[in-house]
Amino acid sequence: MAEIVGGFLVPHDPVMFVARDAAPAEQAEKVWGAFENCAERLAASGATTVVIVGNDHYMLFGTTCLPKYCIATGHVEGPLDQLPGLKKEQIANNEALATAIAEHGSESGFDWAVARSFTTDHAFSIPYQLIVKRAAELSGREIKAVPVYLAAAVDPFITTHRARQLGEQIRDAVLAFDSDDKVAFIGSGGISHWVGTKESGQVNEEFDRRVIDLCCSMDIDGLASLTNEEILEQGGNGAMEIRNFICAMAASGAAHGELVEYQPVPAWVTGLGLIELRV
Amino acid sequence: MKRDVLERVLWNLSVDRFSKVKFKENPTQYLSRFPLGAEDVRMILEFDVKALQEAGVSPLLTLGYWIEMSPDRQMSTYNKKLGSESGYSGSIKG
Repeated sequence: MAEIVGGFLVPHDPVMFVARDAAPAEQAEKVWGAFENCAERLAASGATTVVIVGNDHYMLFGTTCLPKYCIATGHVEGPLDQLPGLKKEQIANNEALATAIAEHGSESGFDWAVARSFTTDHAFSIPYQLIVKRAAELSGREIKAVPVYLAAAVDPFITTHRARQLGEQIRDAVLAFDSDDKVAFIGSGGISHWVGTKESGQVNEEFDRRVIDLCCSMDIDGLASLTNEEILEQGGNGAMEIRNFICAMAASGAAHGELVEYQPVPAWVTGLGLIELRV
Repeated sequence: MKRDVLERVLWNLSVDRFSKVKFKENPTQYLSRFPLGAEDVRMILEFDVKALQEAGVSPLLTLGYWIEMSPDRQMSTYNKKLGSESGYSGSIKG
């Protein structure tokens, strides 16, 4: 059966790419270095597949259909929103595992929206290219990636409790999957940031530290109990992405989290936290 | 002011190449395809992102349509239109 080897919670901040020099050099070095550190840790974990839990930013899914949760079971490419240093490419999906997760879900009360051919956005492709692809280079082995997208930036949002249940369902499906895959999870997003609103550029370090503490202690109940109003007020509309953290944490079944790096970077409009989930 | 139609138009203008071309050719004619009121049309043509957000439109879409279609595409102008003095320069969704 497949084995779960851990995971990461990391930001997917596109401003890092479009305004690299805007952040103080010391902070920038720490954040870019932390992504490399995560890649090294992933390489050392032996992972052969990474399920990346991200969210659309009203680009991939339009007003005609807004799925609460979606999994790509076939061809994958991306990102749609290319950035300097983040170019569109073909991505090796673990199609058998992705299909197994969707089928397991349909038999256990989780009606996945399925993308047979999918284009990612930066929520998937930033952690994919900086961590998964880099870990493959470092380890010399292929590491496949499965895109899971939650409604965490566009309403109607998936509830935090459903995000947790979904993570548990993914975990059950992986552990029941007949293969020798070693699977890791990445929750992509956060922490505090305001997107497209007049508050853009603010960072709430106190809120970020609170979220980091909850993640490191694997207090999913504490994270899931944050109300939408609380998150929007203290962390901004971008912090709704902690749903991705909750899902990945529940899927990993980690014993605890270890903070790799945290930097509040107003010039990059985000409180950037990177955490390893250790099983 | 119907959020659903406003969001459909702004989504088209954020990601759909055909819509972007048609809007640039003749904005008023393009918008006439949708059941929009006079105030809706004004908000879109004048890139009044503050009014659009007050009408319930997602900030992700006001930002996307601003970046793709506005005359100067500058975030400083976008922020001023929202009533913010934010000096951040990042010009993309996050």
